[in-house]
Amino acid sequence: MRIFRTRRASGAVALALASALVLPACGSGGSNSDLELSDKPVTLRFTWWGSDARHERTQQVIDLFQKEHQNITVKGEFKDWNGYWESLATTVAANDAPDVIQMDELYLASYAERGALFDLATASKHLKTADFDPNALATGQVDGKQYAVPVGLTVYSMVVNTDLLAQYGAQLPDDSSWTWDDLKTIGDQISKASGGKVTGVQSWGFDAGGVNIWARQAGASLYDDTGNVVIPQDVLAGYWSYLADLAKTGIAPQPSVTIERASAGLDQSGTATNSSVFGTWWNTQLTSLTKASGQNLKLLKLPGEAQAKSPGAYYKPSMFWSVSSRSKYPAEAALFVDFLANSEAAANVLLTDRGVPANNKIRAMIASQLTETDKAAVAYLDSIKVGPAPRVTPNGASSIEAILKRHTEAVLFGRSTPDEAAAAFIKELQVEIDRA
Amino acid sequence: MSALGDLRRIKGSTRGSPQKRDNRTALAFLLPWFAGLGLITIGPIVASLVLGFTDYNLIQPPKFNGVDNFTRMLSDERLHQALGVTFTYVMVSVPLQLACALALAMLLDRGLRGLAFYRSAFYLPSLLGSSVAIAVLWRQIFGAEGLVNQLLALVGIEGRGWISDPSTALSTLIVLNVWTFGAPMIIFLAGLRQIPIMYYEAAAVDGASKWIMFWRVTLPLLSPIIFFNLVLQIIHAFQSFTQAFVVSGGSGGPSDSTLFYTLYLYHRGFNSFDMGYASALAWLLLMIIAALTAVNFWAAKYWVFYDD
Repeated sequence: MRIFRTRRASGAVALALASALVLPACGSGGSNSDLELSDKPVTLRFTWWGSDARHERTQQVIDLFQKEHQNITVKGEFKDWNGYWESLATTVAANDAPDVIQMDELYLASYAERGALFDLATASKHLKTADFDPNALATGQVDGKQYAVPVGLTVYSMVVNTDLLAQYGAQLPDDSSWTWDDLKTIGDQISKASGGKVTGVQSWGFDAGGVNIWARQAGASLYDDTGNVVIPQDVLAGYWSYLADLAKTGIAPQPSVTIERASAGLDQSGTATNSSVFGTWWNTQLTSLTKASGQNLKLLKLPGEAQAKSPGAYYKPSMFWSVSSRSKYPAEAALFVDFLANSEAAANVLLTDRGVPANNKIRAMIASQLTETDKAAVAYLDSIKVGPAPRVTPNGASSIEAILKRHTEAVLFGRSTPDEAAAAFIKELQVEIDRA
Repeated sequence: MSALGDLRRIKGSTRGSPQKRDNRTALAFLLPWFAGLGLITIGPIVASLVLGFTDYNLIQPPKFNGVDNFTRMLSDERLHQALGVTFTYVMVSVPLQLACALALAMLLDRGLRGLAFYRSAFYLPSLLGSSVAIAVLWRQIFGAEGLVNQLLALVGIEGRGWISDPSTALSTLIVLNVWTFGAPMIIFLAGLRQIPIMYYEAAAVDGASKWIMFWRVTLPLLSPIIFFNLVLQIIHAFQSFTQAFVVSGGSGGPSDSTLFYTLYLYHRGFNSFDMGYASALAWLLLMIIAALTAVNFWAAKYWVFYDD
């Protein structure tokens, strides 16, 4: 009956304990400055995140590239957004980073400032950027170096379901002048008319876009040029008060529903399931949303823009192409990025899957092939008045959306007041930046 | 016992005995396992100990920073939240789980027909419990439009999003852990089978009720097994990760209500480029579990009864 009898037993316990430890890895530098193309066989690894549809399109583009460059093989490694960043961090740590990396604005500075990315300007012989708008191109620069080439552009927008709007007898608001209070009024009207079955607004507060817009409309910004958190506490508190009001008054769903939908992804959102009439989205998500919803959706300018101290809207690069600083084949990697960014053949396959192309020539070239909703997204992007883009997310702040989400949850459930949440958020984000 | 020991000593002193050769053969066969132990387990453990004293962002080489990581823990509010969540989870779910396991083991011990079937049926959740599939299923069951709320609606109660509400999210994970009582149940069942029937017969002759028999015969004789299950399940529960990761969508949310220690450690290491601190956290967890296990062994002297 005695199970822990001997030294062996303590050994077993020690082993069970040992499994509590994680496995870390070390890596050290090593790069190649030869920027001539090799005529020997070269294998590039290329990683991206996205949906199945994107994987198929990307693989087609890889095939086209390989046909043109017989000695280069491109191996695709694709993942879901969530697993992508953990995996990228560990492969970089293990000195085994993929050569070509699909990069996001949140992480760009975190990788670039730590020396993990290759300065693409040094490979300008293979990678042309002449067809890009200089402002767009600048979004891929950190400390004056071109660590990334923007792929597509997006703008924050308010998506409205016009079918539901008509069903509940509400007028389409005039988006050239509407205010945040107008959104509350019309949202309330819909929630009441539907008896709560459909809510007027889908709550937001989980992405960096919403808070950026709010700060910019108040004449402030999330970060200053040196990368410190400078959003005033009362502005941020105002943001969370607004969201808390929406939930409390029934204009947005009750908090637990909001949180469940927010973590379930686009297909189960209030907009996609036709259970909320207004929702904030990036303009290029219109196509996926329309497909999921099956009803008529329209992009509206954000409320408050007409009264704002400075335009809230800005072009956000949907993603970037970048090359690992430890790539053995930077020339070939740059050549492949050139193909992704400038080739018409590639653009014909990719279309707007990665955002409205930031390459002006490509954007004009594919315009005629787009679906109705993609055309609407491009027209919206072209029609909107934008201010200068906010500073790139500073090194260390890549977890801002996780921090935002946590504080939004705390506010919605009444665990913190908007003011407490604002103070805690600012402090926490600044600590993360200082530590990096 | 002593005769057997003498025999061993005699055998052991013979050089080149068949036993020694057997040992060598066994070692040769065990070599791959030892290699794995060294490379995959011991190496990283040592590395993480070293990294625990560094500032390491995964991309640049680690920099020694002394005990900074450990002093930082004192003022890390999220760590304190994670400790609170994890202790609540362990202290509530382990006793409940063991109680369920023992109760079912006693039911099944009554010589039920089809015992093998029931045993398997109750054991199944243990095999599945920490899998991703079950965690996904849990999301569905406790979701706002999930099974639980549909059942509640039948009796006219309006449910809520159990997993997306911070006041109930941890409870759903506790229920999930309790549900995986199969492994301790099987061990209890084996333990119950070993209690000699004569004790019960003697107790019956003395006029003891079923209840008295349980308290005075079954529990004391089963105490070593209870102890074994308790130690293992506590260690196991402290290291829970998958359930919270999948059920909360990786965030430990809503509002940090399911922020298990391991989940926080993972976030610091892999999402916040903070591997030095994460390594230090791993060692703190090891120390907490070791200390609790030591306390358990010490306390065992006062309640565990060895019959041999």
